[in-house]
Amino acid sequence: MSVVYSFFSGWVDRSGASIGGRLPGYLMALMGVVAMMVLAASPAHADVPNAVPPKGEHQGKHVEQPIEFPHDIHANVNKINCMYCHTYARRSKVAGIPPTSKCMGCHMVIATDKPRIKKLTEYWEKREPPRWKKVHDVPDFVHFTHEKHLKRFVFDNQGMEVEKVSEVCAFCHGEVKKMTVAEKVKPLNMGFCARCHEANKGPFDCWKCHK
Amino acid sequence: MSLNNILTNWSRYRKGAEEGGFHEYEHQWGMVVDLNKCIGCNACSVACYAENNLPVVGEARYAKSQFMSWMRIERYWDEPDLEPYQASPTANVDVWIETNPPAGKTALKPSMPGSYAEGLLEPGGQGFEERVGVFGTKGEMQDFGASFLPMMCQQCHAATCEPVCPVAATYHTPDGLNAQVYNRCIGSRYCSNNCPYRLRYFNFWSYYEDAWPEPLHMQLNPDLAVRDKGVMEKCTFCVQRIRVAKDEAKMENRKVRDGEFATACVQTCPTGALVFGDLQDPESRVSKLWRFHQVEQGKTKQNKQNKELRGYRILEGLNTDPSVMYLERVREV
Repeated sequence: MSVVYSFFSGWVDRSGASIGGRLPGYLMALMGVVAMMVLAASPAHADVPNAVPPKGEHQGKHVEQPIEFPHDIHANVNKINCMYCHTYARRSKVAGIPPTSKCMGCHMVIATDKPRIKKLTEYWEKREPPRWKKVHDVPDFVHFTHEKHLKRFVFDNQGMEVEKVSEVCAFCHGEVKKMTVAEKVKPLNMGFCARCHEANKGPFDCWKCHK
Repeated sequence: MSLNNILTNWSRYRKGAEEGGFHEYEHQWGMVVDLNKCIGCNACSVACYAENNLPVVGEARYAKSQFMSWMRIERYWDEPDLEPYQASPTANVDVWIETNPPAGKTALKPSMPGSYAEGLLEPGGQGFEERVGVFGTKGEMQDFGASFLPMMCQQCHAATCEPVCPVAATYHTPDGLNAQVYNRCIGSRYCSNNCPYRLRYFNFWSYYEDAWPEPLHMQLNPDLAVRDKGVMEKCTFCVQRIRVAKDEAKMENRKVRDGEFATACVQTCPTGALVFGDLQDPESRVSKLWRFHQVEQGKTKQNKQNKELRGYRILEGLNTDPSVMYLERVREV
């Protein structure tokens, strides 16, 4: 039986049965204040030094992909660096979708019996790329480069390890390593960008981003 | 906060201009147009259409001045009182526009509608004789004496368009450029009415609907938005190229080199009449030319030591402080 504390019903076990009295109100308020202070002092992305992660949540529509690509198995279980597949992120505007040959580089031998890999092999043998759909899209009048953001937050960032690049990616893409196919969980609108640019002292000229 | 940012920058530049020039720019992109070298071929204008996703609006809209050429060649006639060119009666010419054609030749009536696009200009084709009067060498135009003036946004440092915008969609960038933010623009057209050069163009229609029928839409430049109806637009000095050059320089931790990139018109000009560069870099070609011709920024009248120098800025007496210097054409006297 695991015991958790609920703000509303005091100490409860997982089944919801109360096993202790509710704490007095002033203590709850104090705990709330302490919790807020702790949250403020230690941002969710404590692994990225010299950076204030952007704030904002968004519930994007689920985008159906030709193959339900499991980001969680690749990035979380097998700890593959984001930039291994999205290799263009460090040197161009777009992060890029890896070519099927990159997938097949591993999946010629790894997990060939899984249904998703069989589907991938089918594409490979047909010499046809899977038509991946874009999830994180910004309007046409917005100029965004992955290259410069990675330079600022990863490569030119004192004390930042390249292995932890997924924490930087998560600023705008959310915890992709907990997802299968990518979902849009950040708003990616002007307020979202502008607040982050303000907090991290990014450029603030209209024509830096608008085209 | 962002609005505050715009207003602060804006007033800073404006005040700087009033006090004899704001000099804290990162860059100061400028241009030199040598009218001696300009042959009026319109290649710059075509390049601009291709680079900046400019729609071709068609004759009817063109006639209403709803065209979108950010870079246009204005044509002036040197000697309008010149006698019409008289070819010798024995010249081997089939069509004549003069009122008194030589014996055996027919006279043509000018100002008939027609266009090259309609394919009606083939000699012997239907209506050729009437139509050639408009476009032919001996139509309403003189045979010689034309001079050309390429006009792109002058990127004024004391731009008259900026203070009148009700939503701050046009403002001055730290690069010394006069910027237009399309998604901020509400289409009040104050800026266009306040521009002494008439170099701002308004999207009266959703031109993208018919300007690039499939598969022509594939040629659109992805570095630039395709503008919709109700938005003002103008020459940006190819800001997308500036942006790429600056990004590359920043990635390599260096300054932007002179001549590393050029705007589309400068790149295309077959005679090299246009020169583009950073006026803040004293070694750039542009600033050398400005110095040589003794043209200075922040002045309403240039104080030239040598009157023979050709440099001038268009309408600088209005205190617009443009970034484009023109070199006067040398004429035969």
